[in-house]
Order: sequence, then structure tokens, then C-alpha cells
Amino acid sequence: MTTSKKIVLLGHFGVGKTSIIRKFVTNEFSTDYKVTIGVHILKKEIPVTTTDNISLIIWDLEGTDNVDLINKSYLLGAHSFIYVYDITRPVTFSNLEENILKLNEKFPNTLLKTVANKIDLVEDINDEKYKDTLLKTDFTSSAKTGENIEVLFDNIAKELLL
Amino acid sequence: MAEKNKLRQLKELLLHEDRDEIALLQAKITALEDIIEKQEKLSNRVDPIIDKKLKQYTEDIPEKLGPTITESLKNEIANSKDQVVDALYPIIGKMIKKYIQQEFKILSEKINTQLQKSFSFKNWKRKFKSKISGIEEDSFVMQELAKTEIQEIFIIEKDSGILIANFSKSNTIDKDVLSGMLTAIKSFVEEAFKTGNDNLELIEYGLYNIHIQNFNSYYFAVVAHGVFDSSYKGKLEYELLNFAEKNLGKENNKNLSIKLAEYFNNDDL
Repeated sequence: MTTSKKIVLLGHFGVGKTSIIRKFVTNEFSTDYKVTIGVHILKKEIPVTTTDNISLIIWDLEGTDNVDLINKSYLLGAHSFIYVYDITRPVTFSNLEENILKLNEKFPNTLLKTVANKIDLVEDINDEKYKDTLLKTDFTSSAKTGENIEVLFDNIAKELLL
Repeated sequence: MAEKNKLRQLKELLLHEDRDEIALLQAKITALEDIIEKQEKLSNRVDPIIDKKLKQYTEDIPEKLGPTITESLKNEIANSKDQVVDALYPIIGKMIKKYIQQEFKILSEKINTQLQKSFSFKNWKRKFKSKISGIEEDSFVMQELAKTEIQEIFIIEKDSGILIANFSKSNTIDKDVLSGMLTAIKSFVEEAFKTGNDNLELIEYGLYNIHIQNFNSYYFAVVAHGVFDSSYKGKLEYELLNFAEKNLGKENNKNLSIKLAEYFNNDDL
């Protein structure tokens, strides 16, 4: 049996939301930055158990630093949010807590995962300067190397079918 | 005098062979001059050679120059896409215009033929229908000629954009992604204009219309080809309501795609 689930990726501009999706769906990565306008939707079906598949309908939203500015209807009906930030640019996670709080308030029943992307650009992830932010982060990832991309979506898929 | 004769005899003896050679050469030069100076003769000799070379060259062009020309053209087009588009736009525009004119001509002829069959029962029925409904007879003729066909029907969850069921006459597009994008477009329009509770009801593109009919937690999106007038819209709305009443509910949402196909497979509403 296949169940469809809506996954929404959000976060600041240029944090790698589209790259994460492209890596996951088509296993491609490009350094060419093309800004997402409005919304882009992609799909990937993955097996969760031997009998059950999950069809992830992934909504890639244009970047914004404030979740309040996102067209509310894009977020409605989402089964999971993935909040992505760029570990190399503090501005992209300076209001992480605030945005997470807003999402949790508006959509208390929606699964939410935070992702620190671009870890391939970090020399030492255990550096003290990342410690506080990483404590509030569920996954570290690299769309470039593919690190943790599959893990992220597999994890979400399994939690959604629990 | 005797000495002169002797000298001449000596010259003849010594230069006899040279003179013969010179005479032979002169004869050859004269023959060559004759060929060169007389175009026709030269042509007879040279033309077959040139023709042979030209033929060979023509045969060799695709093989020898083809890849170079193709590569150059590719580069040229890639480097100046805008110019290529600008250059082609008027030509394509003219072609489309010509095609549309031709199609209108055919349509006009068909309408005339239909109207000329004025004594047929169908025509009298149409005239009667026109009188009763107040809709012009031409509209009925147009309807008959450009019959509306349902190409796709989607039942989509309103908030998430997730596809609940689908009936399709072709399987070329990803239905899940299309459902998501339709929902995104719908949401965008409805949010952008902030007109209260108004909903996007119709999207038109080319000869296709996407009719959107909203329900509480889901909506129908019907892709139809052909004339989509208020009369057809009314019938479609009625049939969708009817279908929803019979088949959509918490208990009977199973096999909806099959039920959709059974219900709407016939184009006559």
C-alpha cells in the first residue's frame, strides 16, 4: 500500500533546500544557485516496510527569514516540516528558535525537523561555536556529498507511518 | 659561293635533329594554342575533369563539412538564443496564423454545411432548442462541432494538495505533482487577491479548461477540451455534486478512481 505525505522545506534563502531535494529525488547536485520562486513540488516514493511504501510529495518553498511571511496555504495540510539552515551563515539560524516556536504554535500536530546543511564546508563540526545551535538541530547534512540526506527523509517517512 | 653551299650543307648535317625537334615542338604548341584559344575544344577537355571533381566534392560535403557546420550552427544558436528566437518568432507566428486561418475556414465550412441541412430533424430540433433557451443557434452548432471532452479528473485534498483519486485518459504526467502544483496555484491566487471566501474556479490554457469545484475538505479539478460554456459548466457541476454525494464520505472513499472512471468515461453529461 502507498500512502502520500506532504513534506514542506523552509528556511532562509540559499541554505540549500532545493539542493537537498534534488539530491534526494534525483541524486544530483549543482553549485549553480537558482533562486526558487513561489513553490516547486517534487515527489519520491520510498519503501518503508516490505509491504508499505510512502510517497513523499515535497514542497520546496522560496526562502524567507520569517515563517510568518510564507503563504499560509502552502503550509496547510503538511505532514512534516523540514526547517533548513546553513551552518556556515549564522544569519540563517539566528532566529531558528523563534521560527520553530511559530511553526509549533500554528501547526502543533505537524512533525518538524531542523537541519544544519552545508556541513561539508565546516572544518570541525565539534567546534564550540556550533555547539548551542546544534543542540536545537535534529540533523546535520550536506546536499553536496549526500551526507544524511537519505537518512533525513527515511527517518521522517518512518515517523509519519508510526 | 661554293663556300656558302658548304656551310649550309654543314649546318644541315649538324642541326638536322634539332630542327626536327623544334618543328615537332612547334606543331605541339600550335595544337595546344588551338585548344586553349578555342573555348569549345578546351571545354571538351576540361569539363569532364571539373565535373568529376565537383561530383566528388558534392558527395564529400556532408561527410567532410557536415560535422563542422553542425557544430558551428549549434554554437551559434547556443550563443545567441535570443537572436534565434527573435528571428524565428515572426516566421512561426505567420505559420500559426496561417494554420488558424485555415482551421477557421474549415470550421466555417462545417457550420455552413450544418446550417444548410435545414430540413433535417436535428436542425429543426436545434432551432426549437434555440427558441426555447434563448441561446443562439450558432452556439449549438459550435457545441456540436467542438464537443467538450473530459481529459482528466482529479479529486484533491484541499489543504495538503494530496491526490485522493484520479481519472485520466492519458498517463503522461505525474498526477501527484500536478495535484500539488494545482493546489499551490489555487492557494496563491486565493491568498494574493484576498477577496474573502472566493475561490479560483477556472484556469484556461489554449483549448483546455481546468474547472475547479470546491467542497469542504477537497476539491475537484476537471481538465476539459473543447467548448466550455456556462451550459456545459452547469451540467458538469451537477454531475460532480452527484458523484460526491454518492461516493465521497468517510466510509466510502475506497476505489474512488475506479468509480470516477465508471461515472465519467462517457463524455456526454
